[in-house]
Amino acid sequence: MTFTLYNDVLDAECYKVRLLAALLGLSPRIAAVEAHPGAGHRAADFLALNPAGTLPVAAAGDLVLSGAPAILVWMAAAHDVTDRWYPRDPGPMAQVQAWLETASALAATAGALRREALLEHPAPSGAAQSAEALLRRMELHLLLQGMGGRGWLVGTHPTVADIACFADVALAPDAGIALDPYPALHAWTLRLRALPDFLEMPGIAPLHALVDPLTGHR
Amino acid sequence: MTPCPVALSRDLPPGGVKRVFARGRELALWRGASGQVAAWDNRCPHRGMRLSHGFVRGDRLACLYHGWQYGTDGTCAHIPAHPELCPPATIRATGCDAAEAGGVIWVAPEGYAAPPELPRGLVALRSLTFRCDAARLARICGLEAAPVLYLPDHPSLVILPNPLPGGQVEAHVLTAPLPAADRVAAVHLTEALRRAAEAEETA
Repeated sequence: MTFTLYNDVLDAECYKVRLLAALLGLSPRIAAVEAHPGAGHRAADFLALNPAGTLPVAAAGDLVLSGAPAILVWMAAAHDVTDRWYPRDPGPMAQVQAWLETASALAATAGALRREALLEHPAPSGAAQSAEALLRRMELHLLLQGMGGRGWLVGTHPTVADIACFADVALAPDAGIALDPYPALHAWTLRLRALPDFLEMPGIAPLHALVDPLTGHR
Repeated sequence: MTPCPVALSRDLPPGGVKRVFARGRELALWRGASGQVAAWDNRCPHRGMRLSHGFVRGDRLACLYHGWQYGTDGTCAHIPAHPELCPPATIRATGCDAAEAGGVIWVAPEGYAAPPELPRGLVALRSLTFRCDAARLARICGLEAAPVLYLPDHPSLVILPNPLPGGQVEAHVLTAPLPAADRVAAVHLTEALRRAAEAEETA
């Protein structure tokens, strides 16, 4: 089953959905919404679809979903026959939920700082300190995961939690947040960028772009 | 002077490149496919782009801007816009001495100096950055500032401090070989040290 994604190319929340769709081999129909400067998410026809006026929105027949966390969970639950991207075991499933909440907190801090840097939308005060606290927590968790032989936020296979948290971490340099102090986090972003069918966005390069066109070597 | 500990070896795998600081000097630290480490001033001789944004191909570091490639000795080896040209030897990245010892990458910004002697058999635990200076980090460990901090209350831990610009300090933490549960406890101990040091900073 295919669906329509209301999408803005520069929006990190929309990127989360495009990225998971690419990794799952899905090809949603893309309906472009120019949030800036066009304010397309404030237009009457878009507000009729999502009265909150937020991106992204996914529409599959009568089902209309808004917000990256809900759309990620739906895509994985509906389209991943392996059940790995959204685990069904109660423990891991709840851990995924906790990281989805962290991803939203990252969007509200690091993501807000990026919008401030790119679009001059003021970020809330204290966003930089809150973003640092979140990045430090992720660094600690990924360090401990690595010591236990697990490379991802939950378990040994990437989940929707990794996708949800990846966007604002990888875009943090655009927000003026250096990732130098977080080696485990940096290694995790490289692992994610190395996944087959990884999708880039402006500000996030794929690793395969670095393959030498002459030799085929990285 | 003592060289600066800038990274744990295991955090710079072959093909890796990262930005580091050695006594205020900003460097691009990278490792070629054959394992050799180099530390260069973080600007491309061509247009000044940060080389730490670049990428490694084989044993060359390529600048992200125009793809100029430099070999481990710093000389420019390839200019993609002029593929037939043999670049003159005067085009070169300037570097510092870089060496690996004890699972740590050491950079000597003032010319070659031997890394400090460390007990044998230490294992890398982690690197983390403190929002305080090196003196406060040492004090929170119960010590005077020094190139190597042997924690009196935690004899299996060794901290190598490296001051960063902006009054921060990164701590490269090594431990004696420990069982897995004790390594986890050591990680939490480093978090507690940082909380204590930064609480003192804001007090």
